[in-house]
Amino acid sequence: MMRGMIMISETNSFTEKFDLLGCIQCGRCTGGCPVTVRADLNVRRFVYDAYNEEKLDELARLAEIWDCTTCNTCAVRCPKGLKPLEVLLALRSMVVESGKVEPTVRDALQSVLLEGNPWEKPRAIRCDWMDGLDVKMAEPGVPVENLFFVCCTIAYDPRLQIIARNMVRILNKLDLDYGFIGTDETCCGSEVRTLGEEGLFEMLIEDNTELLNSFEAKRIVAFSPHCFSVFNTYYPDLKSEVIHYTQLFDELVGENKIPWRGELQKKVVYHDPCYLGKLSGVYDEPRSVLQKIPGVELLEFDRCRERSLCCEGSGGKMWVESHSKKERLAETRIKDARALGADIVAVSCPFCLLTLEDALKGLGFEEEMRVAEIMELLGEVVEE
Amino acid sequence: MMGNILVLAEHRQGSLREITFEMLAIAPQLSSDMGGEAVVLLIGSGVDEMAVKIASYGVKVLVIDDPLFEDFNGEKYQKVISAVIDDLKPSVVMTGHTAQGVDFMPPLAVEKRLPLVMEAIALEYTDGALKATRQLYSGKVNAIVAFKPADTYLVTIREGIAEAPEITTAGPVEKINTPLKEDLDYRKFVEYIEAEVGDVDITQSDILVAIGRGLKEDKNLPLIEELAKAVKADIAGSRAATDAGWISQDRQVGTSGKTVKPKLYIAMGISGAFQHVAGMKGAKTVVAINKDPEAPIFNVADYAIVEDMFKVVPKLTEKLKELKS
Repeated sequence: MMRGMIMISETNSFTEKFDLLGCIQCGRCTGGCPVTVRADLNVRRFVYDAYNEEKLDELARLAEIWDCTTCNTCAVRCPKGLKPLEVLLALRSMVVESGKVEPTVRDALQSVLLEGNPWEKPRAIRCDWMDGLDVKMAEPGVPVENLFFVCCTIAYDPRLQIIARNMVRILNKLDLDYGFIGTDETCCGSEVRTLGEEGLFEMLIEDNTELLNSFEAKRIVAFSPHCFSVFNTYYPDLKSEVIHYTQLFDELVGENKIPWRGELQKKVVYHDPCYLGKLSGVYDEPRSVLQKIPGVELLEFDRCRERSLCCEGSGGKMWVESHSKKERLAETRIKDARALGADIVAVSCPFCLLTLEDALKGLGFEEEMRVAEIMELLGEVVEE
Repeated sequence: MMGNILVLAEHRQGSLREITFEMLAIAPQLSSDMGGEAVVLLIGSGVDEMAVKIASYGVKVLVIDDPLFEDFNGEKYQKVISAVIDDLKPSVVMTGHTAQGVDFMPPLAVEKRLPLVMEAIALEYTDGALKATRQLYSGKVNAIVAFKPADTYLVTIREGIAEAPEITTAGPVEKINTPLKEDLDYRKFVEYIEAEVGDVDITQSDILVAIGRGLKEDKNLPLIEELAKAVKADIAGSRAATDAGWISQDRQVGTSGKTVKPKLYIAMGISGAFQHVAGMKGAKTVVAINKDPEAPIFNVADYAIVEDMFKVVPKLTEKLKELKS
């Protein structure tokens, strides 16, 4: 009897948490889910089955719960305003809670706990990317206009460090009050959340809120759409406004503050990162920055903005490989860009850069096209 | 007896684990320093052959052979070793720092109120005191620790810190009665579940030849297979190699694949993306072959060959074959 009562209350918590009874099983979620073309993921089915509490353990064992890239298409399309993907993340949490995760996931989470980043890199070398640069550091208690938050992946991956380095070079040219955090900076928890480690995510929110609030920042400028989105969605006690760097540069180009030194005579197509676009509604600013670069001809994918195709880099996918052998979405994306005649696929997210560049190399298009972060392109045309 | 070291033999599914022999490289010398001898305790069922094998290393083997010990059960081991300690009063009880050793040694230490050092990488007996070396801060610092004075010290030894010694004149094998007479009803062995591995487990390989996008097409695979054969290596690769279908997914190295720690890692046609390097940075020696001198793989390589892999690999294979013959 007691056990029965507990089970009922558990059912209610899962059902209530995700408003499962609000689902009308219309299937728009699965219909729009980009992963369905390569994996057996049917998110509508999970929303339906998760109502049955006795089935949760069985659902949590299904490999396809790890195929979700958390691109948010299902949530954007849901006519009832539900977030079907959250059911999958809750199932991942059950797996994490039981300790039966892939070693790659375990190591990434442990690294966040111990070193503040998911890449198993020491905290002490988090700022090695600053070598040889004159970087202004923010100090707790001292007012600063723009407090920069460098994503772990950009801070550590040698391929991506150029994003942060270019940023500093350009900032130093402008009359802009800014500061960086330094080695105390810690993972925002976006990937921790999507990998299902709720407890660690809550800890990060608490610690990061305290750290970020210790700076008297007017606003926090995030390099990665993931940090940007997670701060705005899951950090209710942050005192500062959080923007993405493309929003800052949209302001700067609008005020004619950017000292252009060259041209980029290229056809550029912009790929909307899910966490900046579908999750945060920032579509125009990156485009406006690109359009202002002298010489750039901006193209559009057919699947752009709310309908943008996910690159499969988020949702913890950097640590979990899909078992599907079908074409990666990033490859589809690169083929689309090539068909458009683009010279450059521009992105504004570290994960998009990695997945799309990998796909481009895999397809052997290196000679004719390139993938570049907007900050990379700016570094090539802005006076230093 | 004073100075004696009791070494616990470890075995699983009918075969002795390497750690057993590794401990035999440490225990005899240490026990002679302490004025005693090394004795191996073998607990199992139908383990005569194993006992002979261990004795061939010149040590005395005590065997507790009983169907009760058909499969490993930490709880049973604890009870048995506890009784053996009472009986033989060894100065040191040594086990591997393995899933088995870490199962029963801590509760045994608590039960008998004995000092325990976990995961020692070295032991020494100087000035009448036993000291152990342990690693701290993810292996950055070696700490030498002393034991609280006691009649018996417990220690678990890290795997792979010593090599099995040479076989010598066989020592005696002596059967003793099991101190445990009945099965436990509260903790039972259920089944072995093997981790899913493909045809080869690259995390255990000593030498890996790894291929990347530079392989270009699968018709070039035999070239790599020949090199792998010449150095007795297993083949691994980057995500690109998996995507292309040249290697199976369980041979993928990187943050979304396996983390490997071979003695030698030969990376061919791999540019060395951060996510790949993260999976192989534990390799002892890295040889990288890539025609792009800017390839990031060279940042982690001990030996760098800037050249087309298709020119290098056949010559390398040829040379290796020559050296071997």
